[in-house]
Amino acid sequence: MSWTDIGSLDEIPVRGARRVKTRAGCIALFRTDEDEVFATSATCAHRGGPLDEGIVHGRKVTCPLHNWVYSLESGEAQGADEGSIATYPVRIDAGRVLLDLSSLEAHAAA
Amino acid sequence: MKRKLVVIGSGMASGRALEHLLEADPDGWDVTLFNAEPRGNYNRIMLSPVLSGEKSYAEIVTHDDDWYATRGITCRFGEKVVSIDRQAKTVTGENGTVEYDKLMFATGSSPFIIPCPGHDLPGVIAYRDLDDTNAMIEASGKPGGRAVVIGGGLLGLEAAAGLRLRGMEVTVLHLAGHLMERQLDPAAGYLLQKDLESRGITVLTQASTKEITGKDGAEMVRLEDGTELPADLVVMAVGIRPQVQLAKDTGLAVGKGIHVDDQMITSDEDILAVGECIEHQGAIFGLVAPLYDQAKVAAATLLDEEAAFKQRQLSTKLKVTGVDLFSAGDFAEGEGREDIVYRDPARGIYKRLVIEEERLIGAVMYGDTADGNWFFGLIKDGTDISEMRETLIFGPAYQGGGTQADPLAAVAALPDDAEICGCNGVCKGQIVKAIEGGATSLGDVKAQTKASASCGTCTGLVEQVLAATLGDDFKMPEAQPICGCTDLSHEDVRRLIKARELKSQPAVWQELGWTTPNGCHTCRPAVNFYLLADWPLEYKDDPQSRFVNERNHANIQKDGTYSVMPRMWGGMTDANELRAIADAADKYGATVKVTGGQRIDLLGVKKEDLPLIWGDLNAAGMVSGHAYTKGLRTVKTCVGKDWCRFGTQDSTGLGIKLEKRLWGSWTPHKVKLGVSGCPRNCAEATCKDVGIVCVDSGYQIGVGGAAGMDVKEVERLVDVRTEEEAIEWVVAFVQLYREHAKYLDRPYKWLAKVGLDWVQEVLADATERAALMERFDLSQSVYQKDPWAERATPETRRQYEPMADLTLEAAE
Amino acid sequence: MMDTAVDTTATRTFIEVSEVWAPQDGVLRLAGGNYGHRTEFEAISGRESFGKGEGLPGKAWAEGKPIVLKDFDGSYFKRTEAAKEAGLKSAVAVPVFDGADLKAVLVVLCSDGEGRTGAIEVWAEHDGLMMLDDGYYGAAKHFEWVSQHTHFPRGQGLPGGVWASQTPVLMRDLGSGYRFIRADSAGRAGLTTGLGLPVPGPDGKACVLTLLSARGTPIARRFEVWDARAAKVGSKGGAELIDGICEREGPLWTDDTQQEPRRTSAWQGVIGRVLGTGAPVAEKCAPGIGPGYASVVALPIHRDGAIAHIVAWYC
Repeated sequence: MSWTDIGSLDEIPVRGARRVKTRAGCIALFRTDEDEVFATSATCAHRGGPLDEGIVHGRKVTCPLHNWVYSLESGEAQGADEGSIATYPVRIDAGRVLLDLSSLEAHAAA
Repeated sequence: MKRKLVVIGSGMASGRALEHLLEADPDGWDVTLFNAEPRGNYNRIMLSPVLSGEKSYAEIVTHDDDWYATRGITCRFGEKVVSIDRQAKTVTGENGTVEYDKLMFATGSSPFIIPCPGHDLPGVIAYRDLDDTNAMIEASGKPGGRAVVIGGGLLGLEAAAGLRLRGMEVTVLHLAGHLMERQLDPAAGYLLQKDLESRGITVLTQASTKEITGKDGAEMVRLEDGTELPADLVVMAVGIRPQVQLAKDTGLAVGKGIHVDDQMITSDEDILAVGECIEHQGAIFGLVAPLYDQAKVAAATLLDEEAAFKQRQLSTKLKVTGVDLFSAGDFAEGEGREDIVYRDPARGIYKRLVIEEERLIGAVMYGDTADGNWFFGLIKDGTDISEMRETLIFGPAYQGGGTQADPLAAVAALPDDAEICGCNGVCKGQIVKAIEGGATSLGDVKAQTKASASCGTCTGLVEQVLAATLGDDFKMPEAQPICGCTDLSHEDVRRLIKARELKSQPAVWQELGWTTPNGCHTCRPAVNFYLLADWPLEYKDDPQSRFVNERNHANIQKDGTYSVMPRMWGGMTDANELRAIADAADKYGATVKVTGGQRIDLLGVKKEDLPLIWGDLNAAGMVSGHAYTKGLRTVKTCVGKDWCRFGTQDSTGLGIKLEKRLWGSWTPHKVKLGVSGCPRNCAEATCKDVGIVCVDSGYQIGVGGAAGMDVKEVERLVDVRTEEEAIEWVVAFVQLYREHAKYLDRPYKWLAKVGLDWVQEVLADATERAALMERFDLSQSVYQKDPWAERATPETRRQYEPMADLTLEAAE
Repeated sequence: MMDTAVDTTATRTFIEVSEVWAPQDGVLRLAGGNYGHRTEFEAISGRESFGKGEGLPGKAWAEGKPIVLKDFDGSYFKRTEAAKEAGLKSAVAVPVFDGADLKAVLVVLCSDGEGRTGAIEVWAEHDGLMMLDDGYYGAAKHFEWVSQHTHFPRGQGLPGGVWASQTPVLMRDLGSGYRFIRADSAGRAGLTTGLGLPVPGPDGKACVLTLLSARGTPIARRFEVWDARAAKVGSKGGAELIDGICEREGPLWTDDTQQEPRRTSAWQGVIGRVLGTGAPVAEKCAPGIGPGYASVVALPIHRDGAIAHIVAWYC
């Protein structure tokens, strides 16, 4: 485990997302209505759309390009679409968002 | 010339066949109907409730004397058929002979009687027909009478429960290790046994009957293992066999049953057979559904029509009050078959699915049969269930449906004075009164109260009030719900937001029974718009409920960069603006494109550069062109009177005035205007949402044009004389559109739904126009501001940049 | 002739008045009812309220089971004078519990008088048998004596059958064709059909309420039994009509080979209102709505926190 402080929870709009650039690609940090935070790949498995720009509902996000819907918990595409995006461990500590970088290295190496 | 049809057996199969035949050809047949039982057709399946007292025989008669009389059928009930002469084509009963052109065998099946000693004593009966049932009822009349039922299948268990309800002490004997061993596994069989025992019925499994003893009648049943059971009544419910003796004697081809082909014809082309007495492709039949299919085919065959009998999947239910058991298809174990089982022993629920080659072939439900029909559908359709395999056993609700809230609850909760029809001011109480006064349909309600008689967007709600008041007598027509989060349609939600004064998203989710915590990408943008349109001061537009373009105020392109389009009022620009655009193109590396909307597009701008480019364009006095919103896009103009020799009015001036009045407002979908200076229409105004054609006498205002996937010409809204009036009408029209249309309906779509007549009627009223304009301007007081100016700030810059850039971390 | 034709087929029903009393701020208040022409009695009832244990509805609430009151004089009944004025002689109060929560108390009042044959009985469990707790029999005196001396084990007879299955049962055949002693006297009293239903108490044990009809004075002209269990209708709720008989329409049930059974959903019509509120309904029917009778009583039976069945009768 290797937790990195990314920023304050307040910087992520409620029912919205912010992007984090890494060597392994871009990660989207989502904040739900209930102030839960999820981290997934920011790139849609379909045609590479920016998931951090999608509408967040419940614990799901809809890609703005072609409306693929993903579960933020599992990364699985919902409904009839087949595909998935990577998810990353993330936690909130005293209002700060922490991302587990070790899983990132693993993904970068993969 | 009537043809003669003789039918042997008036059971459910032949009864249905006669129904079909005589409905299609009432005058073509002279029918003679024999029946060994001294009565006509009745619903044999419902004998168990008659036994228990829960139904009366009169209720289960399918064809009474009248039915036969009206059809001129000669009934020879209680008379056995003795012989048939196929050469002479005659049938001889106990009371005489009759000729036939066509003959139908429907002799049914007879119950199997175990040939043990004592099986023919009085008091030992099979359970097949009304006479057996009456005998059982009679026997149950003796207080403290004891009954032994041999056979723990469907029929035996129903008999046991019925006799128990009638007051007897009942014991069920079953050969196998557990009840209904063909459908249920031991655990489920045990659940069923417990249920029956809780009714005071004794169940003995692995019980083999050795003999029945008694002097003048049955007194005792002795089992192979020596157990002795005193019995006043012994019921044999161990199976049925097709009755084929008569057919055999007649020389027809007979196997297990009378052989028939797909047309229900026997080995004699003038003789048909239907029902439990037949054998079709090696199968015999004991349930009613295939019998009804056969009846249809037999009737068609007699009518010389094409038809073929196909065997199909069957389902059964156990008819014991308080026991829920449903089974369908084929649930035998076998090679290549897989079982999925669900058990909830605390609630007495057991479900089992049998799958073969990715298809559901059998299903058994005990204790919870709600999904029975759904599984049966999958079995019948042979649906490929490989995708659903993991969640299949949990039923249809689990296949991405979720629980549904009560669709009528929202309407039921409305008070009587809630306004349902805004156009005509009709409240719920008035509609209910009309329904109580006799209105039973939408048309009736419309006629009496005027509700739904104008724009029609409250139709869904009126129908719901009808359903809530009339109950299931009123059939709700299928309305399209917005999405999976609700059963309500767009129109319903718009209406309810107004009627119940819902002013926030949580109010909508809560009061209208949304099934998700905060909607989805389909409904939340719509609800967001409806709320801001109806309550401009109390509700603020929520950026997180808008699509990316509207949130970022730029159009996202396929590579994740954005396009930036500043406004060019009425399509007019000047050297300053062009210089600013050119400089921006250089500075931010943008591609430059002239658009059809008479302005310029800068493509390829990075998200983090947006606040900067906006700042630069703002500095030159330019504002957002809203090329990305559901709001006013462009107002195209031609040069008009200023320059053109044909120009009748100042089209450019009017265009600019309109653009300055309307820009910034959120609308149900994008709005495009056009103003042409004369009927040559160089601004292509006649295919716009609002298109004005200037003429000498004034302005011709048209609405509802389209030039995208649909191409449509505008329809004339009104002709006015002055520029002021023109602006008035256009603003009022846009506000009416904002307040009534379904989210994502362009004006032409909305007009098709509500009708131009209604729009004209509303706008023709000067006070109404003024009120609409006032409301529009009120909304503009909140929303008419440049989103770029608001966002050309360091704060926004930070937000548009990634939250963190970890690529800059020094490689450790 | 300008005489009003007397409709001899429109026989008077056994129950004259039905009321629903709902808890409001700790007391029971009138929440609806059908009083026929008895406007005075209706007005007085509208002004009444009963605490737990008070009056007939309050007693049903306190004791957690149906209560039969055969003689108002000198009893705990609070509206004796008004009832007598209105020609009412006896009453049965049926509490409707959802777990330990009282939803409402249904009270039905009957008049006596010639030929009023019918029976309303309350059966309760003692030592594994259903025994008669109390009952009102109108003119059927012989039957009352016999019923008091009869008990039913599980699964036997209407009370035993309802108890074992915890399901309402509409028996068509009470007194015809057999010689079982209770049924015999039922036949002699002219009792033909019987509706039995479980009445759950706050402690989880259920009594059985039976309403036995005679041909001359039926309990009602139309009975309906609806199944609302999730095990039957699924998670989407609603209810399915599983049995019923109607003077005009005949049998209301269907076997599935013929046609789909009737379904209703929450808030749709009278049954829908019961589904939505969980409380019983007793009211006059608006003309033209529903099966066309003058009044309706619809009673929910709760089990495990949800409505399991609804019985309705129309007069």
